[in-house]
Amino acid sequence: MELDDVALVRASQRGDRDAFGALIARHSRSILSLTTRMLGPAEAEDVAQETFVAAYKALAAFKFDSKFSTWLYRIGVNKCTDALRTRRPGKTSLDAEPDDGAVAGEIADHETPHWKLEQAELAWELEKGIQALPAVYRESFVLKHVEGLDYDEMSEILGVNRDTLKMRVYKARTLLCQSLAHLDGAHR
Amino acid sequence: MTTPRTFDDDASDVLVQRFVDQELTAHERVQFVARLGRDEGLRRRTIELEELVIEAERLPRPIVPDAFAASVMARLPRPTAWHRMRNAVWTPRTLQWNVAGAMAAVCAVLIAAILVRPLMTIPRRVPAPVVSAESSITPVRLVIMQPGARTVQVAGDFNGWNPAQTSLEQISDGAWAVTISLKPGRYAYMFVVDGRRWIADPFAAEQHDDGFGARNAVVDVRPEKSL
Repeated sequence: MELDDVALVRASQRGDRDAFGALIARHSRSILSLTTRMLGPAEAEDVAQETFVAAYKALAAFKFDSKFSTWLYRIGVNKCTDALRTRRPGKTSLDAEPDDGAVAGEIADHETPHWKLEQAELAWELEKGIQALPAVYRESFVLKHVEGLDYDEMSEILGVNRDTLKMRVYKARTLLCQSLAHLDGAHR
Repeated sequence: MTTPRTFDDDASDVLVQRFVDQELTAHERVQFVARLGRDEGLRRRTIELEELVIEAERLPRPIVPDAFAASVMARLPRPTAWHRMRNAVWTPRTLQWNVAGAMAAVCAVLIAAILVRPLMTIPRRVPAPVVSAESSITPVRLVIMQPGARTVQVAGDFNGWNPAQTSLEQISDGAWAVTISLKPGRYAYMFVVDGRRWIADPFAAEQHDDGFGARNAVVDVRPEKSL
C-alpha cells in the first residue's frame, strides 16, 4: 500500500530516511520542473537537490498546516530566488515589480531572427520567453500555468496576495504573447 | 507610431484575462461571448491568450535523472545516534505470516511451555544459555533509491560477488530493499542497477577504495551480545 504524504512526512520526522526517499521520488519531477523553468537546465538539478536537502533539514518545523507539496514548492521558489540573486548580484531586485519598459527591453534581448519555426519549436520559443520574463512574473506564470496551481495555493507558496498574483500572471501572459507574436500565425 | 491605449483597451484586457482564468460570472460570460462575435481585436487577443495557456500546460516535464534521489540522499546529513536509536525502537514493523509459520510458532510455544513447566515447580539452578552459531546470524537490510530502475541486485563478499544471487525488491516509488542474513564480520558490496551499472551504497556508514579506482560500500556486522 502506498503511503500518503502525511504518513511519509511523519515517518521522515522520526528519522526514517527511506520515507524521505519516497517523498523525493514522488515530488522530484515537480520540483525539477519548477527549477528548470525558473533557472534553465544548467542549474536546475543542483537547485532541485538543494531544495530537498533544505526540506529534510527543516522537516521538524513542518506543522502540517499546508500540504507538503505546497511547503516544498515554497522552499523550491526560495532556492530559485537565491540562485537568481547569486547569478545577478545587484542587478535587479527580484521582489520589485519591474516597469514595462524594462520588461520589453529584456524580452527584446532574447529575440532571434529565426522566428519562423516549425510547430514543434513553439514550445522551445515559449521556454525561452518564460526564461526571459522578470523573476516575479516568471514564478507566478510557472506555478499557475506550468504547474497548474490555483491562486490560493500560489498565495501560500509565495506569500503574496491573490490580486497581486493575478496581476503578475496577467502581465506574464501579455509579455509572452508579445514575445511569441513574431512567430508565423500558421505555427501557433 | 503606436496608438495610445484607452480605458476601453485596459478594461478589455482585464476582461480577457478574467475569461482565461475562468473567473467571469455567468452573466459576464454571456456578455463577453456576445462581444467576441463583433469585436475582431478582442477575439484575436482571447485566442492568443488561450493558445498560450494551452502551450504552457503542454510543455514537457523534465526527465528526472536515475541518480537524482540517490544524489539527494547522499547529501542529507547523517542521522544522529539518538535518531537511530529512537528509529530502531519506534519504527512500526509489519509482521508477515502464513498458516505453516503460525503452526510452527504454536508448536514452539507448546514445547517451551512443556519444558519450562518443571522449572517453575522445582526451583533449581539453570545453566546459562549457550549461543549457537545460527543465533549469531544478523539480518541486515540494504536499501537504495533508484527511481526508474528495472532491476536492482547486490553483489558482495557475502555472495561471492555474484549479483544474480541477491535481488532487491521495489518497496515503494523508486525505493529498493533486501534483507540478508550475515554472520559477524565486515562485508564489502555494491549495487548493480539494471544488470550493468555498479554503484556504491550512498547510505552505507562506511566506504573504501576497491583498488581499481571505484569505491565499495562496507557493512560491519557485529555479534549480538548474549544475555
